[in-house]
Amino acid sequence: MNSVGKRITFYLIISTILFSVIVPMMYLTTIAFSSAVEISDYPKQLLPDLSHKLKIDWDEDSNYYVISRLNNSYEYEELYYSSRFDRHQNYLTTYLNISKTEEELEDDFIVARETGESVYLKYNKDIFNNFIKFFEVFNGASAALFNSVKAALLTILLSMTLGGSIGYALARTKIKGKDAISLGSLIVRMFPAVSISVPMAILLVKFGMFDTMIGLAIIYSIPNIGLTAWITRSIFLSINRELEEASLVFGATKIQTFRKITFPLVLPAFAASSMYAFITAWNDTAVALLLTNRNQTLALLLYKAIGGTASLHYAASGAIILILPALLFTFILKNYINKMWG
Amino acid sequence: MSFLKLERVKKVYNKTIEAVKRFDLEIERGEFVVFLGPSGCGKSTIMRMIAGLETVTEGDILLNGKSIIHLEPKDRGISMIFQSYAVWPHMTVYGNVAYPLKLRKKTKEEVEEIVNEAAVICDIDQYLKRYPNQLSGGQRQRVAVARAIAVKPELFLMDEPLSNLDAKLRVSMRTDLKRIHQDLKSTSIFVTHDQSEALSLADRIVVMNHGYIEQIGTPNEIYHESESMFVARFIGSPPSNFLDVKVELEDNKVFLVHSTFKYEINNKFVKTLKGKYIGKTIVLAVRPENFTIGNKGIIKTKATIVEPQGSHIVINANIGDVEVKIVSPILDILPNQEIMVGFTESIGLFDKDTEKRIK
Repeated sequence: MNSVGKRITFYLIISTILFSVIVPMMYLTTIAFSSAVEISDYPKQLLPDLSHKLKIDWDEDSNYYVISRLNNSYEYEELYYSSRFDRHQNYLTTYLNISKTEEELEDDFIVARETGESVYLKYNKDIFNNFIKFFEVFNGASAALFNSVKAALLTILLSMTLGGSIGYALARTKIKGKDAISLGSLIVRMFPAVSISVPMAILLVKFGMFDTMIGLAIIYSIPNIGLTAWITRSIFLSINRELEEASLVFGATKIQTFRKITFPLVLPAFAASSMYAFITAWNDTAVALLLTNRNQTLALLLYKAIGGTASLHYAASGAIILILPALLFTFILKNYINKMWG
Repeated sequence: MSFLKLERVKKVYNKTIEAVKRFDLEIERGEFVVFLGPSGCGKSTIMRMIAGLETVTEGDILLNGKSIIHLEPKDRGISMIFQSYAVWPHMTVYGNVAYPLKLRKKTKEEVEEIVNEAAVICDIDQYLKRYPNQLSGGQRQRVAVARAIAVKPELFLMDEPLSNLDAKLRVSMRTDLKRIHQDLKSTSIFVTHDQSEALSLADRIVVMNHGYIEQIGTPNEIYHESESMFVARFIGSPPSNFLDVKVELEDNKVFLVHSTFKYEINNKFVKTLKGKYIGKTIVLAVRPENFTIGNKGIIKTKATIVEPQGSHIVINANIGDVEVKIVSPILDILPNQEIMVGFTESIGLFDKDTEKRIK
C-alpha cells in the first residue's frame, strides 16, 4: 500500500474512534444543558442551545397569552397559554429553563396585547438551571457527591499506602515468595469487584462497616492495591540504587534519603496509580449498589436516576457533575506525570 | 601512622560467594590510589565497604587510626563519585551540590559560597539552575565531581567515574580529575578496569584478581616489574607476550631455548636460573615495545598483520605457535614481509607453575 493510502486509512480509523467517542459525549452534554421541552424535540441538535426563540400571541377571545417556541424543524410550536404571569413564569422556568421575573414577562408580553400582533422574543437560558435542579430533584445528591469524594479519597489512601508498601517490599527486600505475591496481586485484580462484594457484604455487616464509605473504599482498594504494587514495584526497581547510596554517603540518614530522594522519584508512579484508584471508586455503581443502603455515592444515585425517572436532562447534568472532578483530577495528574517523566 | 588502613578485609555474599578473600592496604594522606582489575575481581566491593555501603564480613578498616566499619556512611567523612554519576534528577545542579551541605547544617550563605566555588572549579557555574536531564554526560559528571569536592572530604572515592563517557571526554576528564587532586591534595581512591586510566592517574596501583591483591606498586613498577603473569597480561596495550622456553646450561652459560630461537641470559637472572630452573620450562614475557626488529634479531618470522597507529605500528607475527604483538617505530614494514626479531634487555621471566615473577 502506498503512503497516501496508509495515511487515509490511518485518518479514517482515527476519525471513526473519535466519532464514536465524541458523539455520545456531545449528546450527553447537550442533554445536560437542555430544557424539558428540548428533550422531546426532533431532530436532536448536536450542540446545546443557549437561548430560546419565542413567539407571544394575545388571544382576544379566551383572554390569555399563548407562548410558541421555534423548534428544531423551524416551526413555531404552541406550548402554553394562560392569562396569569406567575403561571407563565413558572412554566418558563420549569420547562424551558428561562428565569425571568413576572414584571419582565409582563413588560414583554403586554406589547402583544396592545398591538394585537405576534411578539418575537429571544430569551437566554439559565445554563446552570439543570445542575441546580439536579440537587433539588434528587434527594441527597449533595450528600452523595460528598460520599463519592470521601470514598475516592479513602480508596486512594488505602491503595497507595498498602500498594506502595508492597511495591517497595517486592522491589527492595529479599523476602521469600516474591514472585507468588506479585502474581497473586495481579490475580486479585482479575476478579470482578462485584464477585468479592457479596461475601464482603457479610463481613462488613459483622464489622459494622456496611453502608459506610470506608467499607466501600476497602472493596475498591482490593484490585487497586495489586495494581499499585505492580506499578510502584517497577518504579522502585528502575530507580538507580546509586542515587540513594549517594545520598547516604553525602550525609543523609536512611529516612532522610527516602524522604528527599526515593519518594520524590517514585511520586509520579503514585500519581498514575492514584488516578486508577480514583476512577475505580468514582465510577463504580455495582459494588455501591450491593454494599450501601442509605449512604449512596453519586454514581449510584445517577444510575438509579437514569433508570427510574423521566427527568433525563437532570440526570445528564448529574453525569456532567460526576465527570468533571474525574476529568480535572486526571488532567492535573497527567500534567504532573508529563512534567516528571516527559 | 597511615591515613587509611585495611586489615585482612574479607567479604562473603550469601555465605558462599567470596567477593574479597583477603585485602591488606595502607594509604597515606594525599595519595591517589587506583584499584585496578577485571570486572568481578572485588575492587568495587572494597570501595563500597570503605564507603559503608556494604558490611565487612571479616577484618577491619581504620581511618585515622579509628575503626569505621560500624559507622553509618554519613558519619565517615567521605565523598564518592559513582559510575552512573548518581546526580539526583529531581534537583537542579545547584540543589545537587547544595544537598550534602544542607545536611551538614551550613547556613544559606555558606552553602551558596561553597557551591559557587565548587562550580567554578568544575566549570559548571553557568548551569547551576538547570536540571540534570538538560545536561550532557560530561557535564553531569562535572556536577558529580563538584558535589563530591564541595563537602571537602577526608577521603575521595571514585567508582569507575569515567566509564560512561565517550573516549575523547574520558581522556580530558582524566586530566581534570588529576588537576583537581593536585590542587586539593585530597586522599583519593579510584576504581577502574581501564589500565591506561590507572597508569595515568595513580600514585600507586593496586591490581586485583579474584578477590586477591596481585600487586601493589607505582605505575612504573606495575608495568615494568609485574609480579605475576596476570599483571603482565592485564597491564599494557597491547599486553605482554608470553613464550614458553626451556632453561638450559651449556659451558656454564644459561640459555633460554625455544623451538625457533636460543637466547643467552647474561644479567641478574643468571644466578636464580642456575639455582632452581635448569632443565625446567619457564615463561618468557616480552612487552611489545621490547622486541627489536633488524639484523641483530635471532628469530626469523613473517609479519602477518600490520596495524599502523601513527607514531608506531603494531605487528602481529608468529613465534613458534604463539602469535605475538610487536610495537615498532619502523613504519614501513608490510604484511608478509620477512623480519628478524630480537629482544631488548627488559624482559620478564615467570615461573610456569606459580605464575610469579622470577627475580
